[in-house]
Order: sequence, then structure tokens, then C-alpha cells
Amino acid sequence: MTITSRPPGATTKIQGALRRMPPAAVPLALICLAGAGFLAATSSGDFLSANSLHAFLQYLSLPILIGLAQMITLSVGQLNLAVGAIGGFASCLAGLLIADYGLPPWLGALVAVLAGSAAGFANGLIVVTTRINGFIVTLATMTILTGVQYGLVGTRSISSSAWRPLAAVGDAAPAGVPLIFLIALAVSVLVSLGFKHTLQGRQLLASGGNALAAELSGISNNRSIVAAHMLSGTLCGVAAFVSLASLPAVNQSIGGDWLLPSFAAPIIGGVSLVGGSVAVLGTVLAAVIVRLVDAGRAEFSLATSWVNLVIGAVVLGTVIIGRLDERRTHARRARIAEPSPVGGTPARSNESARENPGEA
Amino acid sequence: MKDSLARRGQGILLNPRAGLLALIILMAAVFAAIRPEFFSPRFVLLPLMMNISIFTVVGIAQMVVLSIGHMNLAVGQIASFGAMFSGIAFDLWHLPFYVGVAVGVLAGTAVGAISGWVIARTGVNSFVVTLAMSFALLGLVPTVYSWLVTNGSAFTSKPAGMEDLRRNTLADLCVGDICGSPAVPQMIFITAAVMILVSYMYSRTRLGRELLMTGSNISASELSGIPTGRRVIVAHLLSGTLAALAGVMLGVSTGSFTAAIGSEFMLPSFLGPILGGTLLAGGFVSVAGTFLGTALTSVIRTGLQMTGVGVESLNIFLGLILLLALSAHRLRHLLTALAGPRKRPRPPSSAPVRGDAPNEVGASR
Repeated sequence: MTITSRPPGATTKIQGALRRMPPAAVPLALICLAGAGFLAATSSGDFLSANSLHAFLQYLSLPILIGLAQMITLSVGQLNLAVGAIGGFASCLAGLLIADYGLPPWLGALVAVLAGSAAGFANGLIVVTTRINGFIVTLATMTILTGVQYGLVGTRSISSSAWRPLAAVGDAAPAGVPLIFLIALAVSVLVSLGFKHTLQGRQLLASGGNALAAELSGISNNRSIVAAHMLSGTLCGVAAFVSLASLPAVNQSIGGDWLLPSFAAPIIGGVSLVGGSVAVLGTVLAAVIVRLVDAGRAEFSLATSWVNLVIGAVVLGTVIIGRLDERRTHARRARIAEPSPVGGTPARSNESARENPGEA
Repeated sequence: MKDSLARRGQGILLNPRAGLLALIILMAAVFAAIRPEFFSPRFVLLPLMMNISIFTVVGIAQMVVLSIGHMNLAVGQIASFGAMFSGIAFDLWHLPFYVGVAVGVLAGTAVGAISGWVIARTGVNSFVVTLAMSFALLGLVPTVYSWLVTNGSAFTSKPAGMEDLRRNTLADLCVGDICGSPAVPQMIFITAAVMILVSYMYSRTRLGRELLMTGSNISASELSGIPTGRRVIVAHLLSGTLAALAGVMLGVSTGSFTAAIGSEFMLPSFLGPILGGTLLAGGFVSVAGTFLGTALTSVIRTGLQMTGVGVESLNIFLGLILLLALSAHRLRHLLTALAGPRKRPRPPSSAPVRGDAPNEVGASR
């Protein structure tokens, strides 16, 4: 996870790191480097100055967190349209409680995270009790929470002067690296370890990969779905905390533009949408790409709509190339008829089994 | 005899469309009791009917892709794209009104066809493709507006005929001495035409049946010789056409074409068909249900606005309605299951709302 800004040197070390990385992450890392290089060149080195790197990393925290939040729901084959609504609701609730009701700022931060968890838990609970499609449930809760967020703050902006200790976290930069970026990295490591080494993580992947097989092996799919939504909501809560810490104020617009980056990061990062796989490193690298596009837009002072255009095109391109590539590998594998290499995870073969026969 | 009567009574109770109609009448009566001016034809009913006309087309645009088990998250953005082309046609190319409308609608058709082609060709989930498409258009449309519109941010040319369609109601249509109601805009004819054509397609034509079969079981359809890939493209193409038509209608009804057209379409596009009983899993549609579902949400929206609920707080109600409607669907299914196994007249109650498998998004079932 330290590939973003490593100076050239120790080539063998880098080669070793590259070999250890999952295959999809290598091109992503190269794109990140190329993008950073391009920005550095066009800004005649300004991009690499301490100030702009600091800003870059500070605002990288949010795309990483919401990308991971989406990735967790994708891992069980669900999705969470309410990512932005949960984050916006949680940050406004916490901001309001701190500013108007005298809640200590640190308790407010806790409230933000817990409100996110609770909202995610509610999502999961509704999905499993009503058996309604998760897309529609989160579409409904997204609408509801956006309304609640507006009901909480209306048209006012709550200034961050009410929570100076939290704002200090947003400004802190031990050794020049913004603290909230480190928080996002720590969360990524935790998520990665959680999916690799904990029972709950493996159960989520099993449910997402093959619900029937998971059920037969004694895993409760309902529990997995609720757990995934709740974890996703928790990460949205952490993202709400990061917003509280880094933004000058909270208002009803927070979370409104989170949906695109939340889907862009996992999809570009190589997470399968049918569930059963995660790619934490890929998601983080893709979040870097999203952030680079945003930084590039600022550099050339283009309208914000350009970011949507570019990211939309990149997402579309990624899924098409990814799918075509996968089918080519399949065809080759079928021709050679050799045992599949180690890279072919269960999730992948599973996905191919789901492929529509019509398109084969 | 008594049994069959009871069964029929239960059938009506369980029929979502009869329930919807009763709910619409009930809600209208409640709002009229609170606010007697609810039935004012010019100021309340006319905008309400205009809304219903436009959003029914939006709902049908979504319904067409739902019929094959897909989703179109780009309805709103295709609508803004189509409206943008109509605006360009009027403002820069000075085309006559109906030609300009056709240009906008065809632009939507093209976008829908591209989505459909990508989905059919690559087999990527419709959710992702249309989401990416919506993001791309979300970026493209405001950019084009900022290029082409010099003053302000809207195309405001009004070619001959546009004002007529915007202003005229059935009161302007007279047969002898009998005139229509001033509460119904003439735009409703477009909606009616769309509803009739789409119903006809699904109930009477081979194409419609093949779309439904593709939706209910894609491998079986493929094995019975249906070109499912082409049907996927057709569904998305139609959805794009209708979405763009709705966008142009909205532009006409407000008198200007802006980038904001369609930004409110996503939730209503799902509300209408789902309330009306169209399955998310594909294989069953209800055009009349989509109309009734849209009408119910529009009545509630208008009524709540009149009783002083803020526009944003409306969202809370609309979200709750969506959840309640789907829970009711589930409840109805449970009730029929409890009532004992017997042949059910219609697929919507026999096929559960899919949500049982975690892998439920779009086509890859």
C-alpha cells in the first residue's frame, strides 16, 4: 500500500513488491504513477511540492473510505446506494449535536461513526427481513436519509469552529503525512486483514461467492448480508468523521457527490459485482486515480462535470476491457485444457459459471 | 360458488392495481378534506396531470428494461441528453417543433442502443454499464450547455407549436358545445399513445413476448431460439427513446431546456413500475400499473406540498412509500402462500420479489 509516491531506487525491492501484488494492481499502480508524473510535469513540479501533496493526500482519505464501504457490500453481492446519504446524515447529526446541544466533540465523532453503523444495520435488516432487492432498499433509505439530513440542518452551514479538537485532527500531519490519510490507510489494512484472516470476513466472501454452498456449509447468508451492510455503514460513518475533521463546515450538500467515487473505486479496482471477491489494494489505487482526475481538473481549472465524464468513461472502459480480457483467458484456458493457474480464485470461476449462455 | 366468489373478492384485494386505484382515491379525498383547493383545476390538478403524464413515460422507460430483468440507472441523464438535443435543434438549428422533438428522442435512442449493445456484447451487468453511462452523461451534458449557451444556462427558443402543447388543455378541444376538462393537459395524449403502444407490444406482438421470456429465463429463451442479445439491445434502446421523450416533455412543459432536466427521475422511475406490480426480476410488466403507481406518488407529492411539507422532507415520505409498497408485495405473497396452494391467475403473485439470492443485481442471475 505504499506504492503511490516511492522515489526510484532499490529496483529489486520494487520488483519483489510487484510480484507480490495481485495482478490487477500492477497496471493500476502504473496508471497512478503515470498520472502523478503527468500532473507533476504539467504543473512544472508544483504538484510535488509539500503543500499540494499534503492537500492531495488529505482529500484522498474520503474516496478510499467510501470506495471500501461500497466494496464491502459488493463482496456479498449487494450494493449500497446510500453511501453518500449515510455519510451526510451522520456528519450533519454529529455536527448538530456538537454545535447546538453541547456534545463533547469526541463523543460527536463517535456518534457519527455509530450513526453510520446503525443506518447500515437498518439497511441490512430491511434487506433480509423483506427479501427486497438491496438496490431498491438502499435507494429508498438513500432518499429517506437525504430528507432527514435536510430536516436536521436545513439550509444552514454548521461551522467547524464548534469542534476544534476534531478540526485539529484534520490539520495534523505527523512527518508531513496528513493524519486522516493515515486513518484511511489504517482502515484499509484492517479491512484487508479482516477479509483475509477473520472468520467473519471469509464468511462474507463465501456468501457472496456462492450463497447456496455457503448455506450448506452452515454459514448464515442473512447474517453475512446484515454484517456487510453494517460494516459498510460504519465506514461511511468514518468518512463522515473525516468530513467533520477536514471540511470548514457541514451542510446538507455533504455526501451528495459520493456515489460516483464509491462505485468507481471498487469497479476500477477489479472487484467483481456478483460478489465473492474483494480487492482492497486495487480499490485504494483506484481511489488514487479518482483523486488524480480531480486534481487534474483543478490544475486545468475545468468544470466539475469533467470529472464525472472522465470517471464514467474510465469505469465503462474498465468493465469492458476486464470482461473481454476474462473471456479471452477463458477461451485460451479451454483450448489448452490445463489446470487453472493459482491466480484463478474461486470467485472468478464462480463468476464465469454465472455468465449468460447467450453471450458465451 | 360462495368459495369462488370469496376467491374473486380476495383476487381483487390482492390485485395491486385495484388497491392502487383505491389508494389514489383515498389520498385525494384526504388531501381535499384538509385543503379544499386540492380540486382547483387550473392551479393544482393541471400541474398534477402534467406531472403524471411526464413521469408515467419515465416509469415506462424503466419498466421496459425491468421486463428483461435489467435496470437503467441512466434514465435521468438520457432524458437530459435528449432534451439538450431538442434544445439545440430549436435554438441553433432553428428546426420546426416536431422535428426538434424527434431529434431529441433519437439522441436518447442512440444512447440507449449503445448501453444495450455494450451489455449484450460484453455480458457486463446492466447496473454497472448504465451507471457508468449516467456518470459520463452527467459530465457531458453540463459541459455542452456551457459551450453552446452564451447567456444564461438554458435553451429558451420556443418554436411554433411548443407553447400550444404546453398551455393547451382538453378545454381547448370542443366537439360542438361540449368541451373537455381544463384540468387535463393535451400532453396526456403523448403519454396515452406511449401507453397504448407499449401495452400492445407486450400483449400482442412477438417482440414483446420475447422480451418477457428473455426476462423470465434467459437460458430457456436462448435455447428456444430467441436472439436474447438483440432483445437486450432492443429493450435498452426503447428505454432510451422513452427516457429522452420524457426529458423533452419536461423541457416543453417548463418552457426551457436546461442541464437540470432529469435529475429527479431516478426514484420516480422505479416507484411507478414497482408500485404497479412490475417485477424487478423480469418477466412481467404492467403498463396500467405503472401509470397508477406514478399517479399515486404524484398525488401524494402534490398533496404533501399543499399541506406545507417541505420539498426535501417529501423525500422521507417517498422513500418510506417505496419500502412499504415492496413490503406489502412481500406480505401479499406470504398471504397467498398461507391461503393454500392453488393455481394463481397471474405471474406477479406466483413469482416472489427476488431478493432471496444475494446476487440479485441485473442480468447475471
